[in-house]
Parts: sequence; structure tokens; C-alpha cells
Amino acid sequence: MLSLIKEIRARRELLQILVGRNLKIRYKNSSLGFFWSLLSPLFLIVIYAVFLSLIRIPIDLPVLVSGIIVWQFLAMCLGDSLYAIVGNANLVTKAAFPRIILPLAMVGSNLVNFLLSCVVLFVYLIVAGADFGVVVALPFLVVTQAALCLGVALIFSTANVFFRDTEHILSIVMLAWFFLTPIIYDPDRVLTSPGFPGWVHVLFFANPMSGIVTAYRMILLSAQNPGTAHLCLSFGVAWAILCIGLMVFQKAQPRFGDEL
Amino acid sequence: MSNNAISVEGVGKSFRLHRSGTRTVKSMALDILRRPGSGRKDFWALKDVSFKVPCGETLGIIGANGAGKSTLLSLLAGTKVPTTGRIEAKGTISSLLELGAGFHPDLTGRENVFLCGAIMGLTRRQMKERFDAIVSFAGLDEFIDQPVKHYSSGMYVRLGFAVAVEVDPDILLIDEVLAVGDVEFQRKCIDKMKAFREQGKTMLIISHDLGTIQRISDRILFLDEGTVQGIGDPDSVVSNYKSMARSKSVGGLDRVWGTGEVSLERVEFLAGDGSPTDTFSSGSGLLAKIFYKANMRVEDPVFGFSLADSEGRLIYGNNTQIEKFAIPSIEGEGTITLHLGELPMAAGTYLFSFSVHSADHRTNYHRLDNCFPIAVESTSSFEGVCFIPSRWEMGGTTSDKGEDNGPA
Repeated sequence: MLSLIKEIRARRELLQILVGRNLKIRYKNSSLGFFWSLLSPLFLIVIYAVFLSLIRIPIDLPVLVSGIIVWQFLAMCLGDSLYAIVGNANLVTKAAFPRIILPLAMVGSNLVNFLLSCVVLFVYLIVAGADFGVVVALPFLVVTQAALCLGVALIFSTANVFFRDTEHILSIVMLAWFFLTPIIYDPDRVLTSPGFPGWVHVLFFANPMSGIVTAYRMILLSAQNPGTAHLCLSFGVAWAILCIGLMVFQKAQPRFGDEL
Repeated sequence: MSNNAISVEGVGKSFRLHRSGTRTVKSMALDILRRPGSGRKDFWALKDVSFKVPCGETLGIIGANGAGKSTLLSLLAGTKVPTTGRIEAKGTISSLLELGAGFHPDLTGRENVFLCGAIMGLTRRQMKERFDAIVSFAGLDEFIDQPVKHYSSGMYVRLGFAVAVEVDPDILLIDEVLAVGDVEFQRKCIDKMKAFREQGKTMLIISHDLGTIQRISDRILFLDEGTVQGIGDPDSVVSNYKSMARSKSVGGLDRVWGTGEVSLERVEFLAGDGSPTDTFSSGSGLLAKIFYKANMRVEDPVFGFSLADSEGRLIYGNNTQIEKFAIPSIEGEGTITLHLGELPMAAGTYLFSFSVHSADHRTNYHRLDNCFPIAVESTSSFEGVCFIPSRWEMGGTTSDKGEDNGPA
């Protein structure tokens, strides 16, 4: 593990250039490019706001907006993970460099995109008169989410090298994950409902995104703490997924050159 | 400490071939249901390859398509991992496996140059120092800030080559780059390779252009079906390769048959001066020494030969009976030599057939049809298979130019 960090440090310039390249390509060198990338979360927000009000499920707009923005970071990483290795086949088959740089750069550029979205989110929340919580805890939370994103991205980018129908599996995973995470609903609906016993709560927070989204709302909207143990479980699972992702990726990467 | 830039020891590389082409979770599940392990097959692209390249040597690698040349270079470049054996390389390696392969079409030339540099492990500062040299070598001053998707394929390749050589590696791997670019750029590339060589850098070159590779290499490695067929002096390895390529090109035309009273053991081809070879220049003489073995006493045997082009079309043939060269009887081992005066054929591959049969042609003791390929080289150009001495006449004056058209 230590040698891996050393390797990445030695190639940090490559990492920087690749992050820059990914952003440049995404924004197609246009200054409005970033705002285009806000379009899809905006659509999601509008659709769910209209849909939820139609079926009379009460949800705060700031809760929905923060949930969607946070989810979007993971969703973008998952979507891009399919092509982190396969889409760079020309580099992987022609040059020797630590392969992990590629998914790392992909998550890095999505992180930059997410931080920019957060600026917009902050402006919105200030305008909406949100009651901020312990904002200093935000960096820790962002790092934990980035770790989770990298972990799952490592797993799916590896899987897509070996199995080209990973895409279909991923879309199912993402759909289920979206609804298992309290994005368009309040976690209280699960925690306070009498139909759900304690072990369901544990299972609910074993989904790392449950704890992460809730923690963001605690920081940004002073949402209620669902229990520190529950949050710790989510964060622990997030870091565990990163470790599993690293192991899977490092084990598989010598064979990338053969499969592409 | 050894003085080898590269040492390759017992390297093998196997690829897993999947029956279903691209693999999916679905196909894997189906394969497991059908019969575990049935969906794949191992294919050895390289088998037990060992060689060493001393520092400063230029090693050419030749072989037919699919011989494993490119696989070998990608193992050296580190993009593939050997299945067996060990590879050690000393110093930085830059590969020109596919020029400009790492370029992204939406980025400008400048951005791509820095990206390539970073991939090869150079710092931004090192790349800045080299940037001007790269641009001027590629001759792209005006276009360097344009997205490379607007480049012509020639510009693409020039920039790729410029980056790869200017990063100044200790070892340079070159795969089939001499085939691209215009003549002017090819000359520039070869000059650059020569300069590299003079600086004492190690180079490994793959090319199908045997002439160039023969000139530029110190030694040549000949790969065939994943195994090393020879390594050493360029001239002799290339001529071995050519012989082998010729025997393969005979493909399907060769046929061996006969009753076996007499067998033709082997045939040696000699040039007019008596040195063994299978490459002749057009217009020179040829000797074919046939080693036979008669398993019993055979009366009045007839030895014959014929010569065909590479597609098996007969050009000429005769035998000892036609030539009235009487052989009363043979027994045991012996030789008989065929002398051909001047080979009149155009450049190309030709196939010899030899036979021994009875005087009444009823019994064919041994026939080897189209089994012996030879190469004919020629500097003169004419239409057709054979040279026929000719001259032109206009009005009443005679031209002597016809003589110049003769075989070299």
C-alpha cells in the first residue's frame, strides 16, 4: 500500500495533466461548459420536486437539492468508471505507468466538478436561508465520499475490462442504490417508521451513501443526527469499499494489457 | 554488474482466447453451465524466448505477421506482463509502438505533447525544455495549438515520433514506424535513429522493410511462431528468414510421391562459383547437386527437373533422357549435378522439382514436385517471366540499347 502511494506521488504530474484533460474534454473548452454539467442535476431536481408534490410526499426543496448534488458526484464517477480503463485503451496498451492513475484522475476531475457544484449549492442555500451546521467537518465528509467513489470506480472499471456487459449491471445497481439512499426522501421515514425494526436501521446505514448524504444535510441544513454509530458504520463501509477496490484493481491490472 | 541494457530469460506469453469473442458476464455464465473451462483456450504468442541486448546495440526484430514481434515489444515496454520467465531492462524506455497513440483528438498538439511526456514519466519542466525541439522536428510550428483531430495523419505521426525521440530515453522501442510518413520524413527518422545509435543508446526495431533493418541493425533477431529462430549477424539472419519465408510461400504446391526404389535424399544449390546459396541474380549460373540413394540396382534411370514460378506455372523442364545423358545403372548412394547456364527469369521466387523415374516413364521412383524454392534477384526491369535478348531498330539504324536491358 505504501509503495502504491509512493508510485502515485511520483506520477502526480501525470495525474494533474489527466485531471485537466478530463475537465477540458468535458467542458469542451467552453466557459459555459461547467454550467452545462449542472443541467442534469437541475432536471432531476425539477422532475422529483414536481413528482413528489403530485403524489403528496412532503419534502423540503433544500433537502432534495443537496441530496441530488451529493448523489450526482457518485453517479458521475460510476458512469465514468466504465471508461476509465477501457476508454484509455490506447494509453494502457502503449505505455507503462501505474494504471491506478486513470481511475484516480477520473474521480479527481469529478471531484473538481462536484466542488464547483457545491459553490452553486452554497449560494442557493444562503439564498434559501438555510441553517448551516458544523461546516468545518465538510472536508472530512468530501474526502470520505471521494474514497467511496474511488472504491466503486476501481471495481467497475476493472469489471468492464473483463466483462463488456458491466454497463447493464451498473445501471441496475445505480437505480437500486439511488432509491436505497435517502435522496428524495427523508431518512426519518425509515428511522421513525414503526414497521422497521433496529436491524433494518443498521442495514440502511450499511449503505455508505445513507450516512454520507445524511451527514451532508447535518452540515448544510442542520438536519437531525440519526445516531453517531449509524454514521460511523456508513463511513467505515465507505473506506472498506475503497480497500476492496484497491485490492481488486491491483490484482487485476497486470492483465489489462492483454484484455484490451 | 552486467553490461546488458535488456536481458530476456525464458520468456513466454500466453493469451487466453475466448470462444465467444468479447467476454461478458452472460457468456461466462453460459460457458460455466455448458462445461467449466470449455469456453477458453490458451494460445502461446511467445515460447521460451531468451536473448540479451548489450548497451548501445541496435537489435532488429524480424518475422512473419503473427510471429510474436509486437508482443515481445509490449512485454519490454511493460504494457503486458510475461506469463513465464523474466525481463530486465536498465534505464528509461520509450516506445514508438504506435505513433501518437496516446493523443486525444480534442486536445491541442501542445497539450498532447505534455500529456505524452507525463505518461513517459517526464516532469513538466523537462518537457518545457524539449518542447521547441519537438515542434521543430515535427515541423508543426503553425499548428501546435490546433486540436490534433484537425491534423493530417502525417502530422499526427510526425508529432508522435518527435515526442518519442525527444524524451531522450536510454532504450527506444520502434515498431513498424518506417512504413509511415513521406520519404522526406522517413529519411529524417532514419537520421535520428543513426544519431541515437552514435550516442550509444539501445534500440529495438521491428520492421518488414528488410533492407533498412539490415542496414541499421547491429544484430537481428528472427522470430517465428513465438520462438527465436536465430539471432546474430544481420546478413545471415535475413537470408535465413528469406529462405524460410520462401519455403512457406510454396504452400500447397509441393508434393512428394514415388515407389521408392530410388530416393532423392537432398538437393544442394550452388552459385556459378560453387558457393552454396538459394538466392541467385538473374543471368547468373546455377548448380543443383542432387544426392540420391538407390536401394537396389536400378537400370537406365532418368533424372529430371523442372522449374516453375511461385504459382506453380511451369517455365522449363528436361531430363537426362532428353539430354541424351545415359546412366546405365545406379546402386547405393551418389550424386548427380544439374548445370543451368544463365537464369533468364525476372526477380521473384521459383520452385524447382526433381524426379527420378524409369526410362519408359512407367515407374516414378521418387518425385519431389515444387519442393525447392529459390530466389532470383534482378536489377533490370522487363515485363513477363523470362528475359529474351532483344534489340530495337528504327529506320535503318540499329540501337545497341537492348544490351543494357540484359540481366544484371
